[in-house]
Amino acid sequence: MKLLTKITKPILLPHWSQDLFIIIPRIVCGYLLAFNFGAAKFGMPWSPADNNLGLFEVAFWFPKDVASYGGIFAIAPAFFAWMGAFAEAIGGLLLLFGFQTRIASFLIICTMLVAIFMQQIQNGLWNCLAAMGFLWVAVFYLILGSGRFGVDYLLIKNKA
Amino acid sequence: MKNILVTTSLLLTLLVTSCVQKSYKKTVVFTLDVSKIKSIKKVGVRGNDKPLSWDYDTQMKEIKKDSLFQITITGETAYKFTEVKFVVNDTFEFKDKDNRRVIFSEKDTTFYNAKFNKR
Repeated sequence: MKLLTKITKPILLPHWSQDLFIIIPRIVCGYLLAFNFGAAKFGMPWSPADNNLGLFEVAFWFPKDVASYGGIFAIAPAFFAWMGAFAEAIGGLLLLFGFQTRIASFLIICTMLVAIFMQQIQNGLWNCLAAMGFLWVAVFYLILGSGRFGVDYLLIKNKA
Repeated sequence: MKNILVTTSLLLTLLVTSCVQKSYKKTVVFTLDVSKIKSIKKVGVRGNDKPLSWDYDTQMKEIKKDSLFQITITGETAYKFTEVKFVVNDTFEFKDKDNRRVIFSEKDTTFYNAKFNKR
């Protein structure tokens, strides 16, 4: 319990306006991951109907992509694909609302590191930019947590 | 501790009960009418899903001289449709416009007949 409380408790910036300012990248990245990148490959109620995805299903092509990375990814491609897609869609949603922000950030960091070094790096630095953007944002929220404007703060506020 | 157990159980349940989207082999027979075009050198199709690609033509075979070209494509997909464009003499149809949307038949094989550059 103490561990979960520690993970949940956000670091608050000196003034509330600073916390308000830094929710912008959290909301933008969370929204893009949950409703665009993630929803395209992980079955969510708002996934495009054309993609024909059932709830919490990972897109059929994604495990094949993951298997092509080789090594441990080729041993359990469905697991890693599911986790990666989950991290984007559900992790993005958690990030958006600032709920378990550090756990969501950790999942997103792992996924983006794989996306950068196993998938995009051979296509050149330019192709890594989207994953790198999400990576840097998640790194900051892994340290800071949700700030004042997130569900984590509401959960912790009453316990403090 | 209880919260961690509940969260972990929930995650594991999701992981175990969820799965990879089921995919099926779908075959599309593309037939293209190019009778309105003169001096045809080559006819191809490009598209979203493998074995088609947007980077190169998949050549179609002439089944009626200077008029009809055809190709049968089989690929694995879970989607209900695919998108393609035909290419004649290295020129795309519907330049800067939407791709053709081929809705798969409920059966294994879909027959798609088209006229070049016409919806």
